[in-house]
Amino acid sequence: MTAEVGGPGDEADAGTEPVAADGRWHRVHPLTPAIRSWQVLVVLLIYLGQDLVQTTLRGDLDAAGQVAQLRGWALGGGLLIVLVVILLGGGMAGLSWRCTRYRVSHEALELQHGVVSRRQRQAPLDRLQAVDIVQPLLARLTGLARLTLEVAGGGDSRIELAYLTETQARRLRNHLLAAAAGVRYRTPEAPEAPEHFVLTVPLQRLAGALALSGGTIWLGTGAVALVSSSIATGRPGLAAGALPALLGAAGTLWNRFSTEFGFRVATSPDGLRLRHGLLQQRTQTVPPGRVQAVRLSQPLLWRPGRWWRVEVNVAGYGRERAETGVLLPVGTRDEAVAVLAFVLPDLGVRDTEHPGPVVDAGLVGTLGDGGFTAAPPAARFVDPIGWRRHGYRVTRTALLLRRGVLYRQLDVVPHARTQSVGVRQGPLQRRLALASFTLHSTPGPAMPVVAHLAAPVVARLLDEQVLRARQARAGAGPERWMETVASAAPAGHPLDQPTEPAQGAGVEELGDR
Amino acid sequence: MTPQSEVRSEPGPGVRPGGEPFDPVGVRWNRVSTKLAAARRLTGLLALAVPGALLVVPAVLIGSWWWLAPMVPVAVGAWWWWVAGRQVAAIGYAERDDDLLVRRGIMWRYIVVVPYGRLQYVDVQAGPVDRIFGIARVQLHTASAATDAMIPGLPPAEAARVRDRLAARGQARLAGL
Repeated sequence: MTAEVGGPGDEADAGTEPVAADGRWHRVHPLTPAIRSWQVLVVLLIYLGQDLVQTTLRGDLDAAGQVAQLRGWALGGGLLIVLVVILLGGGMAGLSWRCTRYRVSHEALELQHGVVSRRQRQAPLDRLQAVDIVQPLLARLTGLARLTLEVAGGGDSRIELAYLTETQARRLRNHLLAAAAGVRYRTPEAPEAPEHFVLTVPLQRLAGALALSGGTIWLGTGAVALVSSSIATGRPGLAAGALPALLGAAGTLWNRFSTEFGFRVATSPDGLRLRHGLLQQRTQTVPPGRVQAVRLSQPLLWRPGRWWRVEVNVAGYGRERAETGVLLPVGTRDEAVAVLAFVLPDLGVRDTEHPGPVVDAGLVGTLGDGGFTAAPPAARFVDPIGWRRHGYRVTRTALLLRRGVLYRQLDVVPHARTQSVGVRQGPLQRRLALASFTLHSTPGPAMPVVAHLAAPVVARLLDEQVLRARQARAGAGPERWMETVASAAPAGHPLDQPTEPAQGAGVEELGDR
Repeated sequence: MTPQSEVRSEPGPGVRPGGEPFDPVGVRWNRVSTKLAAARRLTGLLALAVPGALLVVPAVLIGSWWWLAPMVPVAVGAWWWWVAGRQVAAIGYAERDDDLLVRRGIMWRYIVVVPYGRLQYVDVQAGPVDRIFGIARVQLHTASAATDAMIPGLPPAEAARVRDRLAARGQARLAGL
């Protein structure tokens, strides 16, 4: 999918397909309204189907003739609504297509849209946090794609370009990433950064991990309870009543399965490339240095398989779009640690130390393993089960926060990405001279906190962590992460050189345990 | 390239004895206006007035033991009066060279340290009750939704001064995310 486009060999169709960053206004693909209306149509059909099912379900109470009549009414009314909505929606979609246009320069991307009230949004590219190419099923069939840009802002700050052709979307992505990275190139188009395949998540493991997750177990218990109770009472109405809740839970599980299906991780100088999705396929690029925090977690039943889940906080992804923050839905310990090493190549442990054992101490260790500072024994009075796991470890570049006995979690926050820090203390903790330490990160799956540490330790951590964060920020690389590197690198394939050796070494180093 | 000498990057045994997270060394806390306590008392009493009045009705009609019921809101009100004073006295903020500290609470204590370079924007708000008492609140926002840094009960002039200082310092130290 990546090999056939990009680079100078693609010039043949440059006449029809405009160069990505020409600074002129472009429209999105003319098929866009069709695809958008199609989505509405599907919703309507589902609605209609539900209506029919409900009518038939209720039917067992009524006489047969009434059922037929009801069904007829539902069909006729439904069809009318569908027709009206198609006409109205089609018209609106067409209008909105005519009013949507975008412009890309080397500095920014602009999008104009809106029929009644015109909106224009401009995103400076050096603030770019992540670029996704999303292809819903129909778009995949028609070779179209949606490009999503995250620029960190409060609230809804993303920009969506829907729909472009796949080629356009990819060329635009290459340009956006190159511009955001500050790469200079001689070709008229930004070359596509080479990808290096890292891993895929096998289907069996994904299914197994989902089956062993908390959601499935609750769903299974609920279903068994429902079926057995309706058999025992001889009234299927009971089960039917609770069906929507059960279907909702199953829908959530299915959603997770279908978004995490075929999960593939690759690296490129642009950052980590993720591709996943059963029906809707999403290709994500998370540039280096845009990761605010990483969480590795393990539900109780994943323990025999030694599986871990890796999630990240990226500014703009937010908590409500949780599926976009997943770097690895389920992987072995080695895979999880390798992925961690890609997003945070330098864990900053002491020269005499190996990063592997330190991470392991965070994953499964207790008390003082791996140089962690743990909660004192007094913490057992506030958390009798988990007190041995509460702990943190400071390295030169990051803070590792560990917790959870049943549901193990390890959060890694680079010092340079610390937003603010807080300490809490309740009356019981005060009596025991304990306090809880929180690092504030951008919204996302990782909410780094370490509870019940000794109060003097927390006092020192609070002081020092603020200082560390400041020093790390002062020494952090430029917002355009390739600027210094690319100017030194020779022409040819400017993207091929940097970061790779470091990343490769990181994997070997961490993977051998 | 980062100077690391100022911070020991590994936790050692030399933890400062008696270290107190809520009272960092060398910090002089600014107190907020006591008018905030008055404002909180007023809000609390207004909220208690409705159930109090409703409970008085059966007491007047039936009498005797029913008079115990309106005593509950009265007791809660008295407790609230006391707590509001204590809570407001516990609120403090301090501007250091590179960050702002806010603390609050006596039973449940909380302190937050916000580096100026991480400030995204600063809000100054004053609700109707706040305006009666002539106070305003300053809320600090970083890129993290978890940052819970709010200074209530500042006189409007002080609120504006804090806001402008924060904006100026944030500008000077602004870093990327």
